[in-house]
Amino acid sequence: MKIRIHELLAGAALAGALSFGLSAHAEGLGTPDDPVEIHMLANEAFANQWQQNMVPEFNKAYPNIKVVIDGVPYSELLAKSLLDATGPDPRYDILIADDPWVPQLAEAGVLLDLKGDEVAGWTADDYEWDDFYAAPLAASEWKDVQYGVPLRSNLLLMFVNKSIYEAADLPAPTPELTWEDYLEQAPKLVMDRDGNGQADTWAIDTYFTRDALTPTIWQTIMNSNGGKLLTDDGKAAFNDETGVEALKTHIKLLDFAPPGAVSHGFNESLQAFRQGQTATMFMWGSVFKGTAVSPETTTLTPDEVGIQIMPVGSKTGGAHRGIWSGTINNKSENRQAAWALLEWLSSKEGEQWHANTLGVFPARKSTLDSTPDSEWMAPVFVALKNGYSVAGEGGMWRPRTPKSDAVQQVLADEVARAIAGQITPEEALDTAADRVNDVLN
Amino acid sequence: MAVETAMKGARKARPRKTVPMIDWLTRWSFMMPAIVILLAVLAYPILYTLEISFSSLDLGSFTANEWVGWENYGDVLKDRGFWNAMKVTGIYLAWAMPIQMILGFGIAYLINAEWKGRGVVRALFLIPMVVAPVVAGGIWRMMLDPLWGLVNYLLGLLGLGNPDWLGNPTLAMATLVIIDTWRWTPFVVLIATAALMALPKDVFEAADIDGANWWTKLWSITVPLLVPIIAATFVVRWLGAVKMFDIALAATRGGPGDATNVINLYIYEQAFRSLRFAESAAMAVIVLVMTMMLTGLFLIGTRKLEDNY
Repeated sequence: MKIRIHELLAGAALAGALSFGLSAHAEGLGTPDDPVEIHMLANEAFANQWQQNMVPEFNKAYPNIKVVIDGVPYSELLAKSLLDATGPDPRYDILIADDPWVPQLAEAGVLLDLKGDEVAGWTADDYEWDDFYAAPLAASEWKDVQYGVPLRSNLLLMFVNKSIYEAADLPAPTPELTWEDYLEQAPKLVMDRDGNGQADTWAIDTYFTRDALTPTIWQTIMNSNGGKLLTDDGKAAFNDETGVEALKTHIKLLDFAPPGAVSHGFNESLQAFRQGQTATMFMWGSVFKGTAVSPETTTLTPDEVGIQIMPVGSKTGGAHRGIWSGTINNKSENRQAAWALLEWLSSKEGEQWHANTLGVFPARKSTLDSTPDSEWMAPVFVALKNGYSVAGEGGMWRPRTPKSDAVQQVLADEVARAIAGQITPEEALDTAADRVNDVLN
Repeated sequence: MAVETAMKGARKARPRKTVPMIDWLTRWSFMMPAIVILLAVLAYPILYTLEISFSSLDLGSFTANEWVGWENYGDVLKDRGFWNAMKVTGIYLAWAMPIQMILGFGIAYLINAEWKGRGVVRALFLIPMVVAPVVAGGIWRMMLDPLWGLVNYLLGLLGLGNPDWLGNPTLAMATLVIIDTWRWTPFVVLIATAALMALPKDVFEAADIDGANWWTKLWSITVPLLVPIIAATFVVRWLGAVKMFDIALAATRGGPGDATNVINLYIYEQAFRSLRFAESAAMAVIVLVMTMMLTGLFLIGTRKLEDNY
């Protein structure tokens, strides 16, 4: 067999190019002699869980990428992310952003386009973007650019203590339950079960306190009745009859809540439900395992805890979206390694491992259509699928604007004043609308 | 008189020496590290706050990018939340400060007598001061919850109802004052105890010889002698109390509604939750100026009291 000189040269050139490509690839993902270290900034609520459990699993696939995760309290996380990312020498390659934060980080110009050419070159062919439900994926999209991938999905859902419904001789709720049905049944769920003449079981506990997440309850009621938070051109749209009625409904829930519920938020309502004191709870679905499964944190069992979308309004059911997305700092020197982690964790295989091993909620259709390893997750998957649909249909998420947190704080202030009875719901929403328009202007 | 005149003359006659340059440089070189550290940790943050209070802040670079004059201050002065927070802070200070001063000095006076175990009680008084305020606020929040709290359980045993400490606006303010008083009264007690122990004993012995009763000794000797200490303690506590926000954050979160939203909590929320750093800086400057003016007034008052007594 004859080999011509120019063929030999072409072959050598091709081999050189291939070896250069492989070398560049290896450098980006580290080598045994020269590993890459990437840093992630995450909510302290799950940073340690990831460091202890997720990183070792990731390192089975990518042994040359060392991952260091720093946890920060939720209330400081956005400010810390912005401060670090906008600095001249950012420490963090990966920023874990809550649902409303991506517009703000994107406008600051610090995020990498994950569907851009650079990242596309590193992305595996079988990584299916279309496999994500639209609602969770949209949480990290801003102005038609995809800046993140859903890593920990969450929805505001309705938890049901079936034993209390049974004790009240009421049928256990279904996803078809309307707000009218719910409010009609609520008085019957306030009961004196130990017979000492005082109520010891109540219908509901949820967010009532002055907290940025309290308006999500009101907003979900409003959205399920067709109301909107903002107009398409970014003006307040919530101070109408639908918004006012929704706020009145939120306030009315206090009539069927435990004493002191006006100052209750995440912890208190969770505690009341887990101790079997409330029949329902509007809460983030991610607490399901600790509420229904883990005996060290709950008095309830999976059999007696139901989970479903919030009651149906005049338009649709309710489920407020809350997605933690993984994003990459575009100034990072380890962008490829950072993407390797996000890609692995949000891939079909990574997400299934994440859901089955750590109980984290998925965002992929393939995962939600699969049979989970744990039996308790099956009803959660059903609720999530319903929730993603209604959340997408009703626009049930916090404001999509770079000033989202400022808007949310305004809503928290005014909704809390209405719930505390300091002003009427009409006054609260009119004041909030003026302030929101000021902020957005 | 003659000696004084002679001394004045001697002072005048002393030749003025020019400080040699090397000596001047040596003195300043010793002071320079302290000056640099002081400028870095004190002056720079204040000047930076001042700068961004007159600017719009670019979150992309986290720097002041455009001079906007008094615009941020104008926005703050029109902000209902800011004025509400100032009012809430005023109410909190008006209740907490006198209660802590009266309780602190009162307790110190009562435990000033010699008795076995006094040292242990004084040491126990330190505990609330060393508990982190956020922890203290959280624990009080649990104790005061009408559903699970120990406080209402005990009140229930006494038939005193089930007050909603954190849900009723008036009671929530009372809760804030109670927690702050629990935390800071021991500080006042410690200072007052030290001051009481340092009072001259001969004055009280003379009063005993003159037949003064307990009340006369308290009102005519102890209080006048303690006035400078009371005034100084008041100023120190005032400066601490005006900055309070951690207890409110942990115990009431500024609620219900905005009933306990003290000014520092409001500024913190506007800065770190709403990311309105420029407006927050303007608020901080306004509060700083007002605090300095009031502190100045208190110091003048303190000096006058010291002169009168």
